[in-house]
Amino acid sequence: MSISRREFLKLTGGSATAAAMLSRLGHLHPALAQDMTTITFGGWGGVAEDEGVKAAIEVFMEEHPDIAVEWQHTPSASEYSRVTLTNIAAGTAPDTSFIRSDDYETLATGGVLMDITDLVQNDPLLGQPNYFIEPQESQRCEVNGRWYGIGSTWVAHHIYYNAELFDEAGVTPPGFQDDEIWEWEDFVEICKVLTKDSAGRHPDDAGFDREDIVQWAVDWSTSWWMPLAAAVHSNGGEFITDDGLCGLDSPEALEAMQRVADLVHVHHVAPRSASIESLGMNNTQMINAGRLAMGVDGSWALSWMNPSLLDVAMGTGALPKMAKPASVMQAHFHSILSSTEHPEEAWAWLRFLATPFYQEHFAKIGLWIPNQSAMLTEEGLKGWVREGIHPPNYSQFATDYLPKHGVAAHLPPGWIEARNDYITPAFEAITNGERADAVFPDAVRQANDVLMFAREGM
Amino acid sequence: MTSKAPAAAGLSEFWLTRQYNRLSLKRRRTIIGYVFILPFILGFLLWFLVPALVAAGLTLHKWNLISPPRFVGAFNFNRMLSDPLLAQSLKVTVVFSAISVPLGLVFAFFLANLINTKIRGIAVFRTIYFLPSIVPAVANAILWAWLFNTEFGLINFIIRAFGGPKIGWLQDPSWVMLAFVILTVWGVGGSMIIFLAGLQGIPQIFYEAAEIDGAGRWQRLWHVTLPMMSPIIFFNLVIGFINSFQIFVSALLITNGGPQHATLFLVLYVYRTAFQSQKMGYAAVLSWLLFAILMLLSFIVFRYIGSRVYYENPGD
Repeated sequence: MSISRREFLKLTGGSATAAAMLSRLGHLHPALAQDMTTITFGGWGGVAEDEGVKAAIEVFMEEHPDIAVEWQHTPSASEYSRVTLTNIAAGTAPDTSFIRSDDYETLATGGVLMDITDLVQNDPLLGQPNYFIEPQESQRCEVNGRWYGIGSTWVAHHIYYNAELFDEAGVTPPGFQDDEIWEWEDFVEICKVLTKDSAGRHPDDAGFDREDIVQWAVDWSTSWWMPLAAAVHSNGGEFITDDGLCGLDSPEALEAMQRVADLVHVHHVAPRSASIESLGMNNTQMINAGRLAMGVDGSWALSWMNPSLLDVAMGTGALPKMAKPASVMQAHFHSILSSTEHPEEAWAWLRFLATPFYQEHFAKIGLWIPNQSAMLTEEGLKGWVREGIHPPNYSQFATDYLPKHGVAAHLPPGWIEARNDYITPAFEAITNGERADAVFPDAVRQANDVLMFAREGM
Repeated sequence: MTSKAPAAAGLSEFWLTRQYNRLSLKRRRTIIGYVFILPFILGFLLWFLVPALVAAGLTLHKWNLISPPRFVGAFNFNRMLSDPLLAQSLKVTVVFSAISVPLGLVFAFFLANLINTKIRGIAVFRTIYFLPSIVPAVANAILWAWLFNTEFGLINFIIRAFGGPKIGWLQDPSWVMLAFVILTVWGVGGSMIIFLAGLQGIPQIFYEAAEIDGAGRWQRLWHVTLPMMSPIIFFNLVIGFINSFQIFVSALLITNGGPQHATLFLVLYVYRTAFQSQKMGYAAVLSWLLFAILMLLSFIVFRYIGSRVYYENPGD
């Protein structure tokens, strides 16, 4: 078949017009279908998160037939901030969204997030005293005394251990009860027992070859803030002080960070490559292969480092304590963006996310730890604690340890810049063997300049 | 048909039958020509020129993406003068380019000569050497992060097998630059293919003449191959500098600028400043700075090296 140029242009013109009309029809369609309000929900996550959100939307829409929730999914959490910021700048922000804990205060003080304080307080369920685990929930949600979001969950660091290596060494592993938590000095000694070179020698033995270690005691990252902040709070320091500045230059903080770094450089009980463990042989593989006795990792890692997925017997316990037991808790928030045209529908969705259905979905697979008190009762635990995922003592981490010793993190405006430009390089310096008291005072001073500048600019 | 046709079709009918046909053939050809290059022109305007001009306007503003931009005059330019991280990012970018570009050129030229031989199965060797350059950047980054792993990486495994030390390739600020140079040089397949095309374009007659005059292997390389290849070398040099100044993906994925800012390349710093520190105005200044540096560098290269390039057909 041959067509003339004129016919060709006519045809393409006609198809373009038809396509334009069809696309307009498509745009009108949801509104015509029924009297429904559509709200958008932005967030990130892998397959598990994606499925969990979709399941939640399905249940929510059954309960609220007049509200449709459209899930706008970005796979990477670190990319999500960029996506959100670009959408905000373009005026196409979602109605409701995951908000990263390091963006939360910046966006709240910038007027991007809706103030939901009154909605939470007046809600018959969420407004009940101690509906959430307190005071931690208020500590993280409040910005200048107002709530701009609700925590999605809690995550915090603890120890994952290879039980077989403990049996072999005749050492009792740690637990989550106060009398099962190691003192720091005891922890270091136990680490030496659990570390071996290829000739079976321990770090204090004569002839120990630290270049030829075949079994390490512990992997405790010094290149990321969460596991180090836990140590800092345990030693009586503060990661972020009450006035919103970085507190890593206090003597307690410096000592705590140095102690963790010394596990690698002085005691030779921890491998050096923690900073890239996710790209090489990670702590899970090392524990599973019997090359690592303990990994300090976030509670979310239980979703892949659990009894049903590992080949070796494993268990969990609290971090060792310096002055007092502590682990830093945080997680992303669920917020309504102030640009929404449907605040009522957005609130209906947001409060649904703060009820057990949504949290149980993720808690059951080991990814999350509930922030709702009702989920920590004997009855509530049945909703999410699962044999094969949660080691026998794990519920104590949620019911006893975190409410008592968990420190809610709040990350002030400007934190991301301060972290990227000054704090992370200081972490990398101590990872490389420099002394904390040589790098942190200067880094913290510069970081605090950024934080103060950001506060004034808001 | 015309009575029922939609308005848009009527309009195109009018254009096609009356006004358009009245134009001269030359003019009609011009219009058709522009229609065909329109996708490129639109792409250039929408994705390059307009953003670049907006960025130029942003250099005078403070904008955190969440509040409206605020005019701050020369504030962002003043900041540039006293920013230690900018100095650091310029330093690492220049050092990286100064090492990786010449090294990459030599390596690509060497490989192109190797695969420019007529032996059995040469196509297989050409494919093998070219393959790394088509590995997606993300896969490439993850592969090298594993190879360079201090404890379990293949590279340290080999070094230690020969009794060498355990090198902190990606953790030690003094080694990480070399790691990036190695992984960049690994991907020279693209320029190697361009060199190969150039080598095959050199008339055999020159080599024969040189041989008759008694020129050895090195003399042939020096007096025939290199002069004849100089436009290609020059092209690869300019493109190499432009690319190396814009290194981003591997730095973001493997080290994220660390350790201790040792791989805080300029584009990575621009990205962070814009989307993490939320300083769009300052990021715009840095982007224009990168543009100015590349312009200046190209000018210098054209001025001082371009004049030594031999073009067989200068009029082309």
